[in-house]
Amino acid sequence: MRRRALRTIVAATVASLAAVFPVRSVGLQADGDPGSVRLQADRATVRLKPDTTNRGTSTDGGAHRIISIIPATTEMLFAMGAGDRVVAVGSYDRFPAAVEQLPRVGALLDPNVERILSLRPDLVIVYGTQNDLRTQLDRARVPYFPYVHRGLPDITQTIRAVGDRVGVSAAAKTLADGIEKQLADVRARVAGAARPKTLLVFGRESGSLRNIEASGGVGFLHDMLETAGGIDILGDLKQQSVTLSTEVVLARAPDVILELRYARGDTTAASDLRAWDALASVPAVKNRRVLLLQGEEFVVPGPRVGAATERLGRALHPDRFK
Amino acid sequence: MTIVEANDVSFAYERDGARVLDRVSVRVPRGGIVGLLGPNGSGKTTLLRLMSGTLTPASGGIVLDGRSITAMPRREIARRIAVVPQETHSAFDFTALEIVMMGRYPHLGAFELEGAADLAIAREALAATGTSRLEARRFATLSGGEKQRVVIASALAQASEVLLLDEPTASLDLGFQLDITALLTRLNAERGVTMVVSTHDLNLAAALCGSLVMLRAGHVIAAGDTRSVLTNRNVRALYGVDAEVVDHPRARHLTVVPLARAE
Amino acid sequence: MAATIAGFGALTLLVCLAAPLVGTTSIHLARVFDRTIPFTDNVDAQVFFVARLPRVLAAILVGSSLAVAGVVFQAFLRNPLASPDTLGLSTGATLGAVIVITFHIDTAVFGISAVPIASFLGAAIALGIVWAMSVARRHGTSTTVLLLAGVALSAFFGALNRLVQVLGDFTDTFRSIRWMMGSLDVGSYTDVAVSFVPITAALVAVATLPRVLDLVSLGTAAAESRGVDVRRAERLALVSASVLTGSAVSLGGPIPFVGIIVPHIVRLIVGADHRVVLPAAALFGGTFLVLCDLLARTAFGAAGMPVGAVTALLGGPFFLWLLFRRFR
Repeated sequence: MRRRALRTIVAATVASLAAVFPVRSVGLQADGDPGSVRLQADRATVRLKPDTTNRGTSTDGGAHRIISIIPATTEMLFAMGAGDRVVAVGSYDRFPAAVEQLPRVGALLDPNVERILSLRPDLVIVYGTQNDLRTQLDRARVPYFPYVHRGLPDITQTIRAVGDRVGVSAAAKTLADGIEKQLADVRARVAGAARPKTLLVFGRESGSLRNIEASGGVGFLHDMLETAGGIDILGDLKQQSVTLSTEVVLARAPDVILELRYARGDTTAASDLRAWDALASVPAVKNRRVLLLQGEEFVVPGPRVGAATERLGRALHPDRFK
Repeated sequence: MTIVEANDVSFAYERDGARVLDRVSVRVPRGGIVGLLGPNGSGKTTLLRLMSGTLTPASGGIVLDGRSITAMPRREIARRIAVVPQETHSAFDFTALEIVMMGRYPHLGAFELEGAADLAIAREALAATGTSRLEARRFATLSGGEKQRVVIASALAQASEVLLLDEPTASLDLGFQLDITALLTRLNAERGVTMVVSTHDLNLAAALCGSLVMLRAGHVIAAGDTRSVLTNRNVRALYGVDAEVVDHPRARHLTVVPLARAE
Repeated sequence: MAATIAGFGALTLLVCLAAPLVGTTSIHLARVFDRTIPFTDNVDAQVFFVARLPRVLAAILVGSSLAVAGVVFQAFLRNPLASPDTLGLSTGATLGAVIVITFHIDTAVFGISAVPIASFLGAAIALGIVWAMSVARRHGTSTTVLLLAGVALSAFFGALNRLVQVLGDFTDTFRSIRWMMGSLDVGSYTDVAVSFVPITAALVAVATLPRVLDLVSLGTAAAESRGVDVRRAERLALVSASVLTGSAVSLGGPIPFVGIIVPHIVRLIVGADHRVVLPAAALFGGTFLVLCDLLARTAFGAAGMPVGAVTALLGGPFFLWLLFRRFR
């Protein structure tokens, strides 16, 4: 009688525990695709059955469960047709619309390592500077791709590299070639035109000229500007972003001021541009060439950069884009 | 002739809290030195603060020269009654003279600056306390005894009628204790400054004060001139200590020698 | 005493006259005031009148306010390490600004952008809380209570600050951080004029308090026994110093160091008497900040450096030097 009672109790306990705690830490898990099962314990991931689906095998190094915490690479993945392989994105990813359905795992400053690992990715695209995250991914034997944010030519280079890594090289090449063609087009259109001195502003306290944030002589915005046929008046400042004083604007006298607005729901009215009127001697103000450009594509060094450059070109040389 | 009197004053720090003083009456004769004796928490400091007008009694009142001090503006009280606290800390580097000059505040109008007359009074007060040579020294660098003398000078510059002193020698060594006692006696004798001294140093009280008020748990348990109040029985009642009160021939005042805790 | 203050005044005047003439761009005074050139074409005049002069004026107002607020707080809190932020005022002001920046409340009211307004409100709310604590206590506020309330408030607002930043995206955070480093490049006289009114009113109010500050720095009881109505004085001082801090932070951001170091430097030169310290601090605070801003905009190339970084770099070693000289 006692032994039976004991057995019942033990069985009941195990059953309830099993119901409450999904068996995870050691055990069998079903993978995303049928026909494949993984035994996963602490530090080793071993496939018990070879992957026989058509999405590329682990043996060719492709990736099928990708996490990208960088908006640029997320856009790249979708643009090269690998969007369905993306299982999670970063906090600031917005494009394309499909990303809104995906789980978010943090970004540059606050990546949620637990969440990342729990999604069992086979590739995580991280910032090159996220050393802590990289160490933890190494420890968990999760492969990652380090992304470095640089200039315009690096964008297409990154597209190709990501494409190779993910296993969609052909699509990536098509995408990269397309972008390069777009840029070449813009360059051709503005060739020979007088290049206006341009100031690219991407932030400012509204209604005033305080805390002007402008693009410096380094980075993809600068490269886009030069491609679109403008001379960056801050080209000599080797910083990606510069807090600019009104005196420097007056001294460097840009012919065109381009204000970029990119935040969702940013309803900056054109009337806010009147703040620049205080700098009356600046040619851009005198000739009414203070322009507002709205769109996220200006701040994401990704596949839309070609279109963005074209928009810049249109703003600087409207006559060349009829 | 009474200059200051506390009439039936009661006070509690919290609204419904325990009374720190319960219907206490004290009469301070003009030109006299009255000692307030009592253990810690007996209400001595509170009584001094009531007398200087810093606190308002819950019942009863303080009378200065026949007028209730609640009817007097703060500055007027300050011109006649000054307080010498146990310790004075300055957060900044004031000189001794600057500290003394602060005593002239209640004598000035709203935007009035101190004039030559005020400076003279300040210097005279320093001289009276024997601290003239410390005039330009930084107050924070003075010794304990020097500081107290400067603070007394500041009180003199402020009000030469009544001085309320709260444990004036508590933080001083023996030598400075004697100095301060001598100084206060001299000021009283030469200038007729009335003093109320709160202390729990019975020997200081015996040396300095002409009359005593014994406070215990907010009540007056004995009051009168020193010789009649300072008895073995009263000391036991006040402190729970068996002591011998002796008229010391060389000191020429009573001295109290504690012997043992009373059962 | 009067001579010392006059000396400080002369220095301030000198610096104010010279500062708009100095900068990364060389301008010619003759051209600046040449009426024959239309203003919209006169780059020199624009640099002088639009870029530099408002900046110098803002620096005077902000520096003055922070220095005087520092003196007042140090006296009332009896703490030489007190600053305009000890009671959480500039943290509150910062929170106001960060909220506006993060949630893109980019409206402008009567030509003043939302950020300065929000930051002034933030300081006002912090003051309100401290005031409530001050009034709730009897017999004037024990300074320990006030200090603790301020520390708690500062920590609370600081935490809210960080929370709000987390809610925003990366660029908002960046803009907030930039704002927090301070900027006097106002580019317009409106901001200066709007701040001028409350700052002047508060300075006048504080001008009635120098003797009281002396007395209160010895302790509440010591001040009261000398006839000071400490509660009334404390309220006046608190409100004035808060208006000064709130206005300064909304005009130029929470520029560090000025409010704690300038009072000390002034005291090392003139002594502790607040009747000299207050006007000297007002004058020297303005001078100090004009000089710091001058350095910020000239010594680091076209990109410049935030004025808050310069006040820190400059203020610390200068103070150490003064201390060594005095206590050698």
